[in-house]
Amino acid sequence: MAAKKKRTPHVGNDSWVVIAADSAVDPQQPGGDPSLVTLRNPSTGAGSLYMLSSGDWRLFEVKAFEEDFHSWFVGQAVQRDGKLLFITPMDPLYLILPYLMKSGIEAQGKFQPADQVVMDEEFPACSRLLGCTRSLASLHHVTEEKEVGNLKFHRYSQEKTLSWLRKKVERTVAALKKRSISVGEGVKSTTYIRAKPEWDYSQEDYLRYAHGLISEYISEDLSKALYKHLELPEISSPKETEPSSKKRKLSDKSVEAEEDYTKFNSADFARKPPKKMTAAQKSLAKVDKTGMKPMSSFFSPKVKMEKK
Amino acid sequence: MSCNTNVIHVQLSSVSDAQRVPVHLMPCEIEHNGPAQVSQYFNAATKDCKQEKTVSFRGRGLMGQELCCPQGYTGMVLKEMNKPGSDQEDRTVKVTSVFDKMTYWNLETPPNPDDRVVMAMDWPELAEAIHGPVED
Amino acid sequence: PSLMDLSPFESDNSVSCRLTSPIPDACRAEECCLGIDEAGRGPVLGPMVYGICFCPISRKDELKDLKVADSKTLTEAEREALFEKLDEAKSYIGWALQVLSPNTISTSMLQRTKYNLNALSHDTAIGLVQYALDGVQLKEVFVDTVGPAEKYEDKLSKIFPGVNVTVRPKADSLFPIVSAASICAKVARDHAVKHWRFAEELGEADTDYGSGYPNDPKTKAWLLRYLDPVFGYPQFVRFSWSTAQTLMDSRGVTVQLDDDEEGGERAAQRQNSRSMLSYFSAPARGDNPNSTGRTHRFFSDRRLRSLDTL
Repeated sequence: MAAKKKRTPHVGNDSWVVIAADSAVDPQQPGGDPSLVTLRNPSTGAGSLYMLSSGDWRLFEVKAFEEDFHSWFVGQAVQRDGKLLFITPMDPLYLILPYLMKSGIEAQGKFQPADQVVMDEEFPACSRLLGCTRSLASLHHVTEEKEVGNLKFHRYSQEKTLSWLRKKVERTVAALKKRSISVGEGVKSTTYIRAKPEWDYSQEDYLRYAHGLISEYISEDLSKALYKHLELPEISSPKETEPSSKKRKLSDKSVEAEEDYTKFNSADFARKPPKKMTAAQKSLAKVDKTGMKPMSSFFSPKVKMEKK
Repeated sequence: MSCNTNVIHVQLSSVSDAQRVPVHLMPCEIEHNGPAQVSQYFNAATKDCKQEKTVSFRGRGLMGQELCCPQGYTGMVLKEMNKPGSDQEDRTVKVTSVFDKMTYWNLETPPNPDDRVVMAMDWPELAEAIHGPVED
Repeated sequence: PSLMDLSPFESDNSVSCRLTSPIPDACRAEECCLGIDEAGRGPVLGPMVYGICFCPISRKDELKDLKVADSKTLTEAEREALFEKLDEAKSYIGWALQVLSPNTISTSMLQRTKYNLNALSHDTAIGLVQYALDGVQLKEVFVDTVGPAEKYEDKLSKIFPGVNVTVRPKADSLFPIVSAASICAKVARDHAVKHWRFAEELGEADTDYGSGYPNDPKTKAWLLRYLDPVFGYPQFVRFSWSTAQTLMDSRGVTVQLDDDEEGGERAAQRQNSRSMLSYFSAPARGDNPNSTGRTHRFFSDRRLRSLDTL
């Protein structure tokens, strides 16, 4: 039957099914049409897609829901690409924070104007982040501010950042409870027996889960500091701060087996090929780093791990 | 991979011309992009009992359920009209269709709150918590 | 116009439907024989119908006098006439039918845990005997078979211990009660095919589809004409037949499902991890390999990830 045919590669998709926040796609918005831009993802250090709307006033994140073997019927047409994109509001501060942290170290405690800090040759659109209404108004959550004349100067403050992040975690905990999201280990499924019934989750389970979610938007160092700040009990390896899902266990295995490519021919479809450095990471690796921390260090742990 | 300096413009003026259409998320990959007799073959043969819909596609039994877009969200289909020749140029997409609910289909299994797409609908509300403004 | 009322099936011809005559009092009071036969096993179009017919053992000769014969040797009109005779004898002859829609056949045979036509046939026959046992004093059951007769006979004898089961190839020409069952089934199948109401909106559908057997040129021509590149066929066609599949393969759009050519175990594995294939095709599909690694399980459980480009 048709199924025995080889799957042909899917290239050149030109259509996307999207669920977007009304504030992102309001045709009456001032400042013209929104645009999708590539910015440095604080979680991966590589470029990710974001949306700026209302003349750069608002920032949105683009995430794709995608399962294997899915397609769409849209009206009287087939769309082969079965992705569903979510365009959701994003706090610009998460994207600005790595730049502030970097400058905090390089400027050795000097106050600086934000527009001199939020610059990235690789991702020039990052300066547009300062146009977001919330950006300048919320810098005080993560920096100390000084005003000289009409100019504002900023200096990164870890202390302020941590208490800002704590509020984020608390809001997230409330939302997790409200939506009754299973924060226990393993895949939430009626076909598996849960490690714990939903009503049995402790405040600590929620905090740890919310900490894991917020950590998707901050660097590893900051994630660790936040963990301490939340007074979550120490766990030997930072990897275990969030209980690993099945998927993670499998990908850990692949790191060990990196040399043994013959195993790729075996039935284990779960194994992933070893990751390559992106061009961005390579160029970062080449820069003379004496006296400065690489940009990547302000982003996720993932990049650093791959560099070894 | 596209250049980091590229921008994709979303033409929202096209929303007024966009058609409200039924959308179905199918549990199979259909290696085709383009017109299909969806209403004649699929919608016409779909049976609606209680919460659950049933139909078959290519001789396979499907069970489906309607999902509403989360509150404050709109469904739309974006289409790139003229793909630029080089990856240095900005791109433009327009809105060709809009929807406020969709039907997702499972292969032979009844719709269930643990279905991934249902769980994915948690995201907008969680995103609001993670990204909403924090009070002093 | 047929005496047989198929409207319960016709009101939803996508599912399996049971049609029954009233059970004659004679069959409740006396020991009975019962025949089982099927119609429309081979065709690529339309339903398969299983039929049972029953009467008191003491009136077998009266049944013989009705001259019911193997339905395959008769014309449609002759079968219709014989069914009328059976209907006239309803004081001592009863029948029941199970109409298996082509959609039921397709979805059963193609489902994840395959349900083959023999198993489907056996279960249907068993279901009908069980129905009869509920009112009829059953002593003898005669069954026509296409598979190995002995195994089937053992199976039925075990399920119905109080009943004497005889399974024979060509039973429809050997036992009048099987011939009668065969006529009921064939009349229903003829009627269902002739008056098929398409669930699909095909406009004025051409009903000149011949016998429905894959080698009938009329049937072939119809299958070519009604092939839709995306949907394949209306539910009137049995998608599990190789004739239909070959045509869809060569002229239709390729459709891939996640359970093809792999056991349930691997499919279950895939639930928790993406296939190797999806990693190889990743760049073309706009995946960012960096973002598939250590994401929080909130996102990995929901198959949510960042995009590096549209």
